[in-house]
Amino acid sequence: MSTSTASETTTGRAGPEGRGPGAALRGGGPGHQGPGDLTLTSIVLFTLGAYGVAAGAATGQEAVVAVGGFAFTLFVVGIVWPIWSLARLQVAVVAPTDATVGDAVELRIGITGRASRLDVRALDPPGMWCRTAAPADGRLPHAAARRGVFRSVRVQLRTSAPLGVFVRTRTVRITLPAPIVVAPRPSVAPAVLQPVPDERVSSGSTLLVPGGGDTVRTVRPYSPGDPARLVHWPTSARRGEIVVREQEPPPALGIAIVVDLRGGAPEVAASLAAGIGTATLAAGGVVWCGTFEDGLPVGETVTDARGLGRRLARAGSGAPAEPPARWPTRVVHA
Amino acid sequence: MTRKVGASSGSSTRRQHVAPAFRVVAIPAMLALGSVGGIAAEHAGLPWIVGAMGGALAAVLGVLALPSIPTRRATVALLGLGGLAALRHASFAGNDRSWLLVLWAGATMLTLVLVDRADAETVPALEGGAPLANRFAETARVGGVIAVVVVVAAVAFVPTVTDRLGRHVWPGLDPSEANSAGAPSSLHSSGDLSLTTRPRLSAAVVFTVDASRADFWRGSTFDVYQGSSWSSSFRDQLEILGHDRTKVQVAPELYDEGARSGVEFRQTFHVEAAFSEVVFAAPSARLVETDKLLIRSPDGTLRVAGSSSGFGKGAVYTVYSRAMPVTEAKLRAADATPIPTPITEEYAQPPATTPRVAELARQITTGAVTTLDKVRAIEGWLGANTKYSLSAPLSPRGTKDVVDDFLFRSRVGWCEQIASSLVVLARSAGIPARLVTGFVPGTPDALTGRFVVRERDAHAWAEIYFPGIGWQGFDPTASVPLVGNSPSGGSWLTVARRNAVPLAIAAMLVVLLVAATPHVVAARRRRQDRRASWSAGALHRLERAGRKAGRARAPAETPREYARALAERLGDERLVAVGDTLDAALYAASGAPEEDRAVADAVLTSL
Repeated sequence: MSTSTASETTTGRAGPEGRGPGAALRGGGPGHQGPGDLTLTSIVLFTLGAYGVAAGAATGQEAVVAVGGFAFTLFVVGIVWPIWSLARLQVAVVAPTDATVGDAVELRIGITGRASRLDVRALDPPGMWCRTAAPADGRLPHAAARRGVFRSVRVQLRTSAPLGVFVRTRTVRITLPAPIVVAPRPSVAPAVLQPVPDERVSSGSTLLVPGGGDTVRTVRPYSPGDPARLVHWPTSARRGEIVVREQEPPPALGIAIVVDLRGGAPEVAASLAAGIGTATLAAGGVVWCGTFEDGLPVGETVTDARGLGRRLARAGSGAPAEPPARWPTRVVHA
Repeated sequence: MTRKVGASSGSSTRRQHVAPAFRVVAIPAMLALGSVGGIAAEHAGLPWIVGAMGGALAAVLGVLALPSIPTRRATVALLGLGGLAALRHASFAGNDRSWLLVLWAGATMLTLVLVDRADAETVPALEGGAPLANRFAETARVGGVIAVVVVVAAVAFVPTVTDRLGRHVWPGLDPSEANSAGAPSSLHSSGDLSLTTRPRLSAAVVFTVDASRADFWRGSTFDVYQGSSWSSSFRDQLEILGHDRTKVQVAPELYDEGARSGVEFRQTFHVEAAFSEVVFAAPSARLVETDKLLIRSPDGTLRVAGSSSGFGKGAVYTVYSRAMPVTEAKLRAADATPIPTPITEEYAQPPATTPRVAELARQITTGAVTTLDKVRAIEGWLGANTKYSLSAPLSPRGTKDVVDDFLFRSRVGWCEQIASSLVVLARSAGIPARLVTGFVPGTPDALTGRFVVRERDAHAWAEIYFPGIGWQGFDPTASVPLVGNSPSGGSWLTVARRNAVPLAIAAMLVVLLVAATPHVVAARRRRQDRRASWSAGALHRLERAGRKAGRARAPAETPREYARALAERLGDERLVAVGDTLDAALYAASGAPEEDRAVADAVLTSL
């Protein structure tokens, strides 16, 4: 059994913690805002309003009070309007079910309610603000930044309409109708094609290497569609009917990858496992993947890169499943 | 022109051309600063149009021509300065330009909406999202909401707030001796009125009046005619009135039933002049709320006690007056009651005038039965035979009887001559009369509702005594006598008419600006487009060279064809290559090679 250990510098983030509702990437990152920000306009209007009302009241000059009151009205309307406007909006998001770390995914966002203008962006990580009015349906760009299974996304709405007095920001967490499974980005790794036991291959859950082997197992009568090169002429002559060769399937090649994410670089390890598995699958090999998922060791053969990615997306820190007997095995340590 | 444009978060300071959306902001900003500039200019004694143009220019420069400041910040800073100016000048010495304040408010709101909208448009649009609503529809909606909020707040709070804020009594500034010396004669209580000097009539605001209706604001009365002046016989019979905190009770004038039992009418005066000795009031004051010590004359008029003391700027006092509501029938019926002897002795004695004036009075009033009819007849005669002019020549030096001179020689004069004539003619006809000076109601302010009274509103009119009713004002100068309710003076139309010239200039400038804006924007866009690509710039240079050579490019001519034509015309074969490069740059998928462009640039420069 050979082993591989991810030794590259990693972000140190463990995968499983990111799974499940409410566990999507937290912290907001750069550009994260609180519930609202007062602007320079608000300071100007508040100052004018307070000074006007106070000075007008002190001197009994109603016109000054009127000017101050107007400024104060703009100040209050400028704060209340965006708060009220955003509070009435409902947001729904549909996301693709599969993604790879680093991919730009497109969230289909639907905003109901009425707002003259607002900006919207996805969080985790904070994306680019996009402007729209409401109601609206649109496509919101988002970066799949982390491996994991995400059942919700956070979307941020903001508006300062109509007066630019107060930038109201509202963050909503939206449960997705179907989770996004974000697979690790495969690192560059060579395919590992080593013979695997036949009984495993014959179980039907693996793919055979295309092209067939050289050993003739038997002959059988010709069926329409059989290639002419398979006609076994001596036997055909002997029997008086055309028969064709039936060859033994080629030996199955592949690898069992045991992904042990108990360590300091789980993402690098997952990426390495994905790289090896993807390369092996692309080369026609068979891949068995052993992981630790949802508190249990899980091990089974994967049939394609998407299946492998989904397994690795779910992989967490724990003792992975043992590989099948006599399979060439690669253990990837975090 | 380049400048920084800030995103709504204020974090972005990228440098770029001023976006068209931001350019639109300049228009309401012009209105906002222009309106407040107009108020400030008027407050400073300048024509308001000067301030308006200055403010508008500052707004345009601030919004469009300060490359180092983000447009949003520049705009908000300008609006802040405009707001400060509005606060400073909203007290505006009570001018009647409050429509400019309304314009400022609307334009400020519009500017805020447009600048925020322009800022929002710098954010990329959501793919497939809804487009933003039309900016003017959005502005109208916001304006409607704010108007509703303001109206609701006004209805809900103004009655309470006004009582709390609206001062009925306020000391104001203490006037200095210089203030006293510089005040116009209409604000002094000297006891004399010269008919041979011209009054000072500036546009300076004297006071504003909170009152439910317009009235003439009486200051002094004069009962002794001396040919070239009037004086009061009561100057030595003054009475200092006692205070009950700020309330000063004023005894009614003898035999003035209106002052005794008439309908109460409250007025609050906000003094804007630096000095006013006279306590102006609608006839006849019965209660005054003030912190000043007052002196009452037997004729019922009031002034501040002290030789040089008076109300200073900012002083507020409230007067409760009483007057008898009258109709013409009531006035005619008053003749049935005998006139009290003291009134007759004091006010109905034939004045010291010429016999021909007395004869004229007799002629005019012959046939008139009642006192009112006689007064109307005199008014009618004055209206038919004299003319009003503020620039009428003064009576010649040595004139002993100004009224005689006015009635028989000049027949042109201003209110003092006209009202004096009425009083003298009435007295000659045996009617008790006296001359009154004060101010006309002034112009109602659209925002505050106050009557704005200026120095030029100083006026003289007559009061006629009606037994059982009291003194009633008659204004022979105006077409509307003081009997009954006076119409409010002034209107938007009047204001517009008075400022026709500056309004016309402003309208022309606005029209020019509106008409020129699309051309300026289009020219800028063309220049930017030309700068935007090498091919456009090079083609422009080629066309310019061709035009100089007398060969403009035909509309359907391609750059290659045009360059070849020019090469032939100018005898410069290099232009053929320039044409090829231009064609490649314009239409080839890969564009023109850099070295070819350099060669073409060199050729075009050499042209």
